Amino acid sequence: MTFLLLIVKNLTRNKIRSVVTALSTMVLVFVCTLVWSILAFLDSVTAEQSQNLKAIVTERWQLPSQMPFAYASSLSEGAASDPDDVQPEDAMTWQFYGGSLDPKNRTRDNSLFAFGLEPDKLLTMMDELDELPPERKAELAAVVDKMRGNRQALIVGRNRLAAINKQVGERIKLFGLNYREIDLEFEIVGVFPEGRYDNAAAFDREYLLAALDAWPATHNGRPHPLAEKTLNLVWLRVPDMQAFTQVDQQIEESPLYASPSVKCETASSGRASFLEAYRDLIWGMRWLLGPAILVTLALVIANAISISVRERRTEFAVLKVLGFRSHHVLLLVLGEALLLGVTAGLLSAGLTYYFVNNVAGGIPFPIAFFQAFYIPLDALGWGAGIGVLTALLGSALPAWSARSVSVSDVFAKVA
Amino acid sequence: MNGKQPMVLVDRVHKFYQRGSERLDVLDGLTLEVREGEFVGLMGPSGSGKTTLLNLIAGLDKPSQGEVWVGGQRISSMSESQLARWRTAHLGFIFQFYHLLPVLSAYENVELPLLMLHLTASQRRQQVLTALELVGLADRLKHRPGQLSGGQQQRVGIARAIVTDPSLIVADEPTGDLDAKSAVEILDLLEELRKSLHKTIVLVTHDPRAAERADRLLHLDKGRLAGQQQPSPEGVPG
Repeated sequence: MTFLLLIVKNLTRNKIRSVVTALSTMVLVFVCTLVWSILAFLDSVTAEQSQNLKAIVTERWQLPSQMPFAYASSLSEGAASDPDDVQPEDAMTWQFYGGSLDPKNRTRDNSLFAFGLEPDKLLTMMDELDELPPERKAELAAVVDKMRGNRQALIVGRNRLAAINKQVGERIKLFGLNYREIDLEFEIVGVFPEGRYDNAAAFDREYLLAALDAWPATHNGRPHPLAEKTLNLVWLRVPDMQAFTQVDQQIEESPLYASPSVKCETASSGRASFLEAYRDLIWGMRWLLGPAILVTLALVIANAISISVRERRTEFAVLKVLGFRSHHVLLLVLGEALLLGVTAGLLSAGLTYYFVNNVAGGIPFPIAFFQAFYIPLDALGWGAGIGVLTALLGSALPAWSARSVSVSDVFAKVA
Repeated sequence: MNGKQPMVLVDRVHKFYQRGSERLDVLDGLTLEVREGEFVGLMGPSGSGKTTLLNLIAGLDKPSQGEVWVGGQRISSMSESQLARWRTAHLGFIFQFYHLLPVLSAYENVELPLLMLHLTASQRRQQVLTALELVGLADRLKHRPGQLSGGQQQRVGIARAIVTDPSLIVADEPTGDLDAKSAVEILDLLEELRKSLHKTIVLVTHDPRAAERADRLLHLDKGRLAGQQQPSPEGVPG
């Protein structure tokens, strides 16, 4: 028998208590993993890059941003007008189109939200899609190829496709939600690679523009109310911060964007601006919910270990009689808490990772323009870390108490 | 250790406890010697200081005054850590209520003290098997305490006490929780161990049957040595 085996066997002493403590740990690690996954993702998308960064141009004073499409061409060139001006390496426009399959009964499941863009930009400008491994990139390129020859082509995320109960190859008609009376018919030509766009869709912007152009013909020559507000975002890729600063200055100083005026910011800064509306919620998640879970977990473990230590005072005294030193007793109690915490934490994080990513299709937590969040692989480390940290915090005092058990006090029959 | 030096020397030991303003004297200037290989019984009424004396000899407590020497070492001046190491190597302790770990098998319980020594797994195994054979439980290795009778549990306790081959064995009423038949078996076993392994045994007991096995019987009363006698074959008055 080894010391570790002794620790393991001690955990089997009161199976119900150990199981309940482990389950409590798993539940709290589960919640913590969800919260931290969202925070970690938001942190990553708002972290500034110094090289190969993306900038976003949006309407300056209004959310959601709605700019005239006439801005698209010049903004895509970074408002460069002189030979010395810096031009972005690449650019992409976004026009948001939301539609429902059923105009009379609009539900979450029969609705679809799509980006109107230039299909080629799916390969070069869309976050994460521009960094796909070669094999998956080739699959996406094949879909983009179909979109080039078919203005009504639609690429859909796999979760959204499942939600609307359609398959690749089927045709659908969407009744406009934000573009009133602009109903579009699509042919589903492919699915997004698994991941960030599982609930999104994208189509050729020309299709929406054509529909807007055709609208006056059936409405007494009046343009669609959103005709001059159809450009929501322009993405620019610049090589470094210096180039970004230059492009930003060009756009700021350009007379082309007077009404409405626009602003240019890095993508991370832009996302941070979007998230500003959720600042209190995020603060609460980060500084209230997260710590509260850790403290609760530490207390759960402290309670279980304290009861165990109280019940085993005589046993610790016996161990000391047998030659165990105080630090052996300390390590024994800490070891039990650590083993329980690490095992439960790791198991919980692993199960959370598997079920959220592979079964549930992400955490449905719509915030800003992010629809769902996924558990990063780092969560396994968090689970183990939470287990270690809370086990140490929770068992420190009980372990010290066990270490300090006085043999003579325990076995004294006189006094 | 030479034959002239006592295995245990308790030299003018006082032990008192302070309870608020009240001082409770448990041992009052007690002196005694135990020779190597001797089997000494400690008897006396409740509160006479038997267990306190046993704890001092086992290095589980320290005297308020005086010195305790065991095997030529002054254990009364050792630190807690030194005492723990000393106990591992030199002392076997037999409890009245066995105090076996319920989650461990008989084998594992006996192995516990060896975990504190630098032994290989095979060395540990050899010593555990030898100890369990000596107490007649070689066929109960995997049994947990709950699956053993009281007498068998005490045998495991004795095996645990002798597994490190200590020079001194102290026992605190080892038959106190046993029926008459088991008590006799345990006393037979202790006597056999003393004879075959030449161990020094100090035993606290209220049991006349246990006392009559001792070479020398010490009576304590109010923290002092009230007398000693050689037990007669007819038994010792309780």
